[in-house]
Amino acid sequence: MTPPFSPVLLAGMALYPVPAAMLQPALSAALLIIHRSHPDVFERMGEFTGSVILIDPIDLPYAFLLTPDGRAPKLVAARNHPTNEADAVIRGPLLSLLDMLEGRLDGDAMFFSRKLEIEGDTEVVVALRNAVDGAEIDLTADILSLFGPFAGPARVAVKTANHVASLASRDLQTLADALLAPSMARHDAHDARLRKISDKLGDMDKRTRKRRPEKS
Amino acid sequence: MTCPSLELVCPAGTPAALRSAVDAGADCVYLGFRDETNARNFPGLNFNNRELAEGLDYAHQRGAKVLVAINTYPEAGNPGPWYRAVDTAAALEADAVILADIGLLDYATTTHPGLRRHLSVQASASNPEAIRFYVENFDVKRVVLPRVLTVAEIAALNKQIKVETEVFVFGGLCVMAEGRCALSSYATGISPNKNGACSPASHVHYEDEGDRLVSKLGDFTINAFDTNEPAGYPTLCKGRFMAGGKTSYLFEEPTSLSLGTMLPELAEAGVTALKIEGRQRGRAYVAAVVQAFRQAVDAVHAGQTPPLMNLENFSEGQQETTGVYEKTWR
Amino acid sequence: MTSKAKLTLGPVLFNWPPEKWRDFYFRIADEAAVDCVTLGEVVCSKRLPFFEPLMANVIERLQGAGKEVVLSTLALIMSKREMDIVRDITAMNGLLVEANDVSTATLLAGRPHTIGPFINIYNEGTLAFFAKKGATRVCLPVELSGKTLSVLSKNAGLELEVLAFGRLPLAVSARCYHARAHSLSKDNCQYVCTDDPDGMDLDTLDGEAFLALNGTQTLSYSCNNLIEELAEMQQMGINRFRLSPHDIDMVGLAGAFRDVLDGKSPGQELEELAEGLIFSNGYYHDVEGGRRVAAE
Repeated sequence: MTPPFSPVLLAGMALYPVPAAMLQPALSAALLIIHRSHPDVFERMGEFTGSVILIDPIDLPYAFLLTPDGRAPKLVAARNHPTNEADAVIRGPLLSLLDMLEGRLDGDAMFFSRKLEIEGDTEVVVALRNAVDGAEIDLTADILSLFGPFAGPARVAVKTANHVASLASRDLQTLADALLAPSMARHDAHDARLRKISDKLGDMDKRTRKRRPEKS
Repeated sequence: MTCPSLELVCPAGTPAALRSAVDAGADCVYLGFRDETNARNFPGLNFNNRELAEGLDYAHQRGAKVLVAINTYPEAGNPGPWYRAVDTAAALEADAVILADIGLLDYATTTHPGLRRHLSVQASASNPEAIRFYVENFDVKRVVLPRVLTVAEIAALNKQIKVETEVFVFGGLCVMAEGRCALSSYATGISPNKNGACSPASHVHYEDEGDRLVSKLGDFTINAFDTNEPAGYPTLCKGRFMAGGKTSYLFEEPTSLSLGTMLPELAEAGVTALKIEGRQRGRAYVAAVVQAFRQAVDAVHAGQTPPLMNLENFSEGQQETTGVYEKTWR
Repeated sequence: MTSKAKLTLGPVLFNWPPEKWRDFYFRIADEAAVDCVTLGEVVCSKRLPFFEPLMANVIERLQGAGKEVVLSTLALIMSKREMDIVRDITAMNGLLVEANDVSTATLLAGRPHTIGPFINIYNEGTLAFFAKKGATRVCLPVELSGKTLSVLSKNAGLELEVLAFGRLPLAVSARCYHARAHSLSKDNCQYVCTDDPDGMDLDTLDGEAFLALNGTQTLSYSCNNLIEELAEMQQMGINRFRLSPHDIDMVGLAGAFRDVLDGKSPGQELEELAEGLIFSNGYYHDVEGGRRVAAE
């Protein structure tokens, strides 16, 4: 299951000046998987399933339009930031948005710090936050599940916890390649940015080591 | 000296939060259905029947109880949703229901005499005669005390009643007597008593005016923040207002209740259960706060001083208060 | 034609100086077109000692003028002292007592009594329960809409009363906001609430009038005014309306309400009588309580 904001996916997008349209298959696939594994997220959106939420990670060149419709959910990347197409906007640093997605950071705490900006219909944002918090989206597991043949050994590594940071950075590279390399030329500058984001992700994982026990 | 056993009652807005609470050591989890029958009727929150059944299984397998809050006031001419909520809680064998409305208590007592009944804080029973009313008429087994009493008053009250009491020890803080506040409906039309929501998100707007961020509830400005000031959700009674030519947080600062250090006194005062507020908060909050209070309660049971909690980051405005439990607050 | 509808004067919610309080009731006794007068301290037990000595005289004068007198009681009872005050009032014989807390209703159970707007009665089940316990009249809480009133008025089993004029009592607290506004504590409040006979205005940061403070009580800034809804409520079978005292010409105000109940146009314009109080009727129309909905 790949959440729409999988750090890998987002990092890849930050790195390469991909036309938004080229991301669409990956985004749709990701949303399909999350829709299958976490149907309750969409169910919890209740009367707001038809709402459009612009999720705008300020450190990425993209924003995302999410329609959390339980029957036909949509996640569309846009290079411009079509605020006028959205009922609500959530804007903030990528890592804060990831924290919110994973339920690692208390929603209210983030919500009410100036880190996160909210525009438009506050109720839609609250609904999304509550729905996502209830879903137990687990990025590490999500990333690993993408790796097919690597998944087995990777899980063992995660259990030792110490390797999480290095693993994440290796996986990041692998996945970025897998997703985007075929259509992109690589540049050193991009590599440097990739390393920066890897480090950030490493920090993030350190902070999550004390996660709850595995789901039974 | 052996200390009477304190029960830790913890919030769950979602099944994930319920599991977090149970795993972190909750003795009891309280929750509500996904509608206007409970006082945290917020978008994206709460339980449907299947989730309640699963939550009951999860908790019971691990020795924890589940209490179902049905603590709003049924609409005249439309008691159905509230009756059904009580029926469902009874059918799924919830450990207790938490009720506030007298008509609904009457229904539950008559229809499901075997279903344990707690009196919600929303009933605001603050004295021995009010409590006697609910015990004699509806055989309530526990009363959640409104946040209007000092610890000394709670101790005195417990000597005059023969029913368990539960008090709030952490989280959001009503500064008005609970269930007796119409500020939210005055500004928004949405009321805690009728609709299960106070200062609802549907009526919240933030307006960026360049040099300040204004938070509004309905048509009313509740607060304004300078560029570098932490912003707050416009809960009406935690707003900044002007009175007598002065601007201040007139009702209460943005702050959360935290009674970690007062647990031994509460045990002394004869309290049975400690309640953590926050069904609308995420599971990160639930896990951290429940874990901290589990340790503190265990320490109290062992006759030790409870450890410091460091939960400021989970508090509104990163501020904590012992609130009304100390007389100077008034 | 005189309608059978009755007017009740609610208790003075504010801390008026004792002489002003007494003279107000004397004038009501002598001149006001109200049928019933409810009096006594509702908000803060610390105020009671000041006008308690005048109570007997006031009651005598009101009864002498043919008014029904009902003793009102505290809305929030926290201490033993407050509980004892209420026990004493409910132990008296000969006067009808109005309960504003469930505790008081418990003490009054089994004999005729009334229920004030501070007890949560939102539906027919709760209403029936109080009727069974001996309540003969209920003044309903502020939040109820016209639609709810119409449901409750069917087979109510007791007399319903509706708040028809006055700032709305929105909340009550253990904390004294009047004292807090003056940087004082409740224990050492210096009775600053005496300075504001209609409550202390509370404005938003943008200077918009919002609420009014009255000690531990919070009221609306706007003044609930259901004079245009009286006829509709009468058609529902509601025949008693409560006017909450303000520092205005309450005799004139009662007269205006009486006129409208009797199908006449009011002798004096309400806007003029209200001396700048802003009107609202939102709760009745099931919108924000602070809104004013124009008559259809």
